[in-house]
Amino acid sequence: MKKITRTLLLMAVIGITSCSPKITSNFTNPQPKLSIDENVALLDIDHDLPENVVKVGDLRFQDSMFSTDCSFNSLMTQARNEARKNGANIVKVIDKKKPDLWSSCYRLKIELYKYEGDVSSLNQYKLKID
Amino acid sequence: MKIIVKTTLLSSILIFSSCATIISGSRQNVEILSEPSSAKVYINEIEIGKTPVQKNLKRNQEYQLVLKLDGYKTYQTILEKKFNAWYIGNVAFGGLIGLIIDPITGAMHKLKPEEIDGNLKSGTTYKTERGNLFIKISMDIDPNSEKVGQLEKLE
Repeated sequence: MKKITRTLLLMAVIGITSCSPKITSNFTNPQPKLSIDENVALLDIDHDLPENVVKVGDLRFQDSMFSTDCSFNSLMTQARNEARKNGANIVKVIDKKKPDLWSSCYRLKIELYKYEGDVSSLNQYKLKID
Repeated sequence: MKIIVKTTLLSSILIFSSCATIISGSRQNVEILSEPSSAKVYINEIEIGKTPVQKNLKRNQEYQLVLKLDGYKTYQTILEKKFNAWYIGNVAFGGLIGLIIDPITGAMHKLKPEEIDGNLKSGTTYKTERGNLFIKISMDIDPNSEKVGQLEKLE
């Protein structure tokens, strides 16, 4: 009986903690929310940031040890959602660690910006469905 | 003989210990239908086709689903990851390996349209058959749009 209780407890812990990466955010200058119809540009490390942008905040994605939902596309989708909530229309990756021996996750440092121009004209990363 | 029995037993435990992964797999087939059909379907803002459309999605992720059709309101929902009951099978088989493997593969989850206060978004129905998810969406007419005409096929 004790064994079953322990197993169920273990399952509950794994179930609750698994999959999601650890997200740290710092919004220094939040802007009005953006709607789903407003474009958000996803700029990878090698994509240039346009001039005259206003910084909205920072995001950091880390491995929570149990993370499995942490592919580059998944993290960029989550970053885009956070950007919209805080009124940013540019997601710029400033540091990227690929999965390696120590972690099966992408680990990203991201800056969020508000740009008054047309973000769809920027050279950007094209999101894929995993 | 005892060795064969023991080996068979051990192999069975090892093989069947990742219940959800074996039964459900790490991906789930999702079929999206709409009324009327031919609505453009976007998953995570990527156009995947027009309804009816199928997509094989990872179970360990959440997806944003949007349907757009001229003259109708844009439909939006989230495909959430919920607990897959096959994961409990690991307890029945005593499979510690399965308890670890199923969360890694994502098989401990299944995708479902989001519910708010226990209710699906208006116009949404779904069913799960053999692990596949079928979602049907009734699109609402956009009151701001006005019908100005209709094209008809020439005889």
